[in-house]
Amino acid sequence: MKKNDEFYIPYIDGSLGIKTKQTIKRFAIGSLIVIIIGALLFSFAQKPFKNSSFELISATKIIGVFHENPYPMLRVQIADNTYKNILLLGFGKSSANPFLEQIQNEVKNLNGQTLSIEGNLIYYNGKTLIQITDENKVTLLPNSSGIYPKKISVSKMTLQGEIIDPKCYFGVMKPGKGKIHRSCAVRCISGGIPPVLATTDDNNISEYYLLTDLKGKPIHKEVLPFIGKPSEIKGTVVKMEDWYLLKINPDDITIISDLSNIYSKTNSN
Amino acid sequence: MGLNYQLVLWNKHKKTYDKIIAAGMLLYIILFAATTLIFNSETSIETLVIRAFGSLAIIMLHIILVIGPLARLNTNFLPILYNRRHLGVSMFIAALIHGGFSMFQFHALGDVNPIYSLFTSNMDYGSLTNFPFQVLGFFALLILFIMASTSHDFFLGNLSAKVWKRLHMMVYLAYVLIIAHVFLGAFQQETSPFTIGIMVIGFIVVASLHLTTAFKERKIDNTKTEEKNGWLKVCHISEIEEDRAKIFTVENERVAIFKYNGKLSAIHNVCKHQGGPLGEGKIIDGCITCPWHGYQYLPSNGQSPPPFTEKVATYELMLEDKTVYINPKAFDEGTEVKPCNY
Ligand code: HEM
Ligand code: FES
Repeated sequence: MKKNDEFYIPYIDGSLGIKTKQTIKRFAIGSLIVIIIGALLFSFAQKPFKNSSFELISATKIIGVFHENPYPMLRVQIADNTYKNILLLGFGKSSANPFLEQIQNEVKNLNGQTLSIEGNLIYYNGKTLIQITDENKVTLLPNSSGIYPKKISVSKMTLQGEIIDPKCYFGVMKPGKGKIHRSCAVRCISGGIPPVLATTDDNNISEYYLLTDLKGKPIHKEVLPFIGKPSEIKGTVVKMEDWYLLKINPDDITIISDLSNIYSKTNSN
Repeated sequence: MGLNYQLVLWNKHKKTYDKIIAAGMLLYIILFAATTLIFNSETSIETLVIRAFGSLAIIMLHIILVIGPLARLNTNFLPILYNRRHLGVSMFIAALIHGGFSMFQFHALGDVNPIYSLFTSNMDYGSLTNFPFQVLGFFALLILFIMASTSHDFFLGNLSAKVWKRLHMMVYLAYVLIIAHVFLGAFQQETSPFTIGIMVIGFIVVASLHLTTAFKERKIDNTKTEEKNGWLKVCHISEIEEDRAKIFTVENERVAIFKYNGKLSAIHNVCKHQGGPLGEGKIIDGCITCPWHGYQYLPSNGQSPPPFTEKVATYELMLEDKTVYINPKAFDEGTEVKPCNY
């Protein structure tokens, strides 16, 4: 131990010696430098975030034709002969279905009916989703049967990518994929949000596939162990206007050890 | 000296210390937020909060962990040690904001309760790279919570210094959990040589400072002792400074041997408050004064002067040819022992 005569006693005024004061000052300045360097390193080290959006505080009203094939969507006309299928989601980590029950009681078959829905938009890379937070903001428009998109079988394919929950991935969270986000994606999909396979090819073009079982029915729990990990999936690709579906048997999912393109450096969070 | 903590609490240095802590934390958050918003503006507010407070907490934890050994190596650091608990509680608050936001963000509004979700949403407990890292953070936060909530002297009085000290040694367990939390979590995806580098350097600094102090203290404990008719030889009387002590280990207990006013007295080295090393203290107004927070004990009987009631064990000394000898058998706490005159 260093010999020194200074002896600080908290309740004795003036017992704080010069050397002690100096030491404390140096320590405070040192800590401040650590704080500054730390803040710069930790903030600069973050990977770039993608420009996905979630309009948490502003509500938008959309009008379109409802279809559940197998996940609830609204087909909205955005230009002459151009339609967008907007995926419907519930509040938090839940499916849209409970919010549709009320109007489901009004008609026998909601498929093909025109609805007006007010909610929070989520969008990224050409895809749009909407979060419904209030069942009273879903209204059935009268005399309104419309057409909903046809499904066209494309081919059997083996795809590499990551199973994500579209709500977070397309806007609510950043990063909305990978290890950091896995727990949340599991919660979302377990809560009824449709699982989506996100893929990126060598040219950095991304495509998204809504996963269903072989019969085209919704799946949730079956894919939980694979969420947020680079995976390879065999299945049948089905095109449904601006979305793809992938019919799979969950047994045909394999985790791949090397990172899929979704993790490539040029790709952001 | 249970009664004087209120007095200690409102000391003016302490207020300066708190202001520095608050300013440092604010600076960190502002700097982190500003750089992120300027250079990586697509961030989400939740992620910004989670990351800013998580990284702030771990940096503060490093600062907290180096204070202990620094104060053991150089007594000029003692006033910082003395106020360390405010730093600890502030760090806990930062960690709580991080953990709380994460809990909400990742686990709330789902189909099961958030705590259950934390443990079960990722079941890869057998894998390293896929390990449910949030669970590690949760246990670390729990430890920090227990420490922060028992940091007041009120608990010291009720828990006994030994239990309290053990409780607060758990900070090292928390540190290990947090390192694993970060390396198995964020660093698996947000891999950057800079943040990994700063964490590795931080660990090396903390570990080497602790090893250096442990090595130094082991030297005190392992000095070979000469025995003479049941008495142990301590040192030549000139090796002890006036109003100061020499620390000597008998039967695995450290004893502080004080020299003052032509007298020698020995008491157990461990302060009843938070286990401060009394042998590094000083005689002030005739009392042995603890270097950590200034608790006082009378050298002749190890008792705090009234109205305080703390008591430590005392030891018997003997002087022969200017050499100090000690009887290794401790007396009961607070036993009067006639000082040795020289
Ligand atoms: C309930 C407790 C906790 C939960 C749920 C939790 C969750 C998380 C999550 C999800 C991340 C990744 C965030 C991201 O990079 O986007 C993370 C990172 C991190 N956590 Fe925790 N954590 C907890 C406790 C703690 C504690 C107690 C500390 C330290 C005092 C801590 C320190 C960190 C650090 C330094 C990082 C990496 C930097 C960052 O991304 O913020 N965490 N934590
Ligand atoms: S440990 Fe606090 S006064 Fe001794």
